[in-house]
Amino acid sequence: MWNNVVTGVFNTFIQNDISCLRFNFRAVGGSTGQHGDGEEERTDVRACIKFLIEERNNKKIFICGYSYGAAIGCSVVNSFDKIIGYAAVSFPWAFMGSTFKERAQTDKPKLFIQGDKDNIAHYNHFEKNYNFYDEPKKFHIVKGADHFYVGYEIKVATYVLVFYKSLIS
Amino acid sequence: MVGTEKLYIMNGEIELESEYWESNSDKSSAVIICHPHPQIN
Repeated sequence: MWNNVVTGVFNTFIQNDISCLRFNFRAVGGSTGQHGDGEEERTDVRACIKFLIEERNNKKIFICGYSYGAAIGCSVVNSFDKIIGYAAVSFPWAFMGSTFKERAQTDKPKLFIQGDKDNIAHYNHFEKNYNFYDEPKKFHIVKGADHFYVGYEIKVATYVLVFYKSLIS
Repeated sequence: MVGTEKLYIMNGEIELESEYWESNSDKSSAVIICHPHPQIN
């Protein structure tokens, strides 16, 4: 639950008084169950979104995911009409395979954030993968950042916040 | 609301460890953040 990138985004949204939920996938941290193949984890995201809609009465949901969380989270974007878009930080297109890339295709607004020193979600694959997605979409390249964004957390969080506000306003 | 709310969201029999902050001004929209996986990234 205490990843630096996620914590940076979470705290930034809180500081701007925006409702925000973060969670651990099954078998991670204090979450129960066993690791699935991605399909089960997609149901984890849906369960959390249902909580936000049905128990907290939210009308608009925005997804932010980092690395594996981007592949899984953004892949449910078309599951609910109330989802208004997503931000993907270091979407791991290469090692997650084409299924998650294709499931993240949507006509909803999309933001992609990528470090130019990332050697896990490789920067040199970014343009090709980004071009796969339909408009509306935006991207930010974080110069000097590798996959872990140490020292760049506020920059990443600010990109996500500004994009979110552009959708809500 | 003061502070964040620690809770477990149920997905069938699975308990998902979560932390939630509810806005004081806008209770109609929310952000969900998906963590990386520690063994996968």
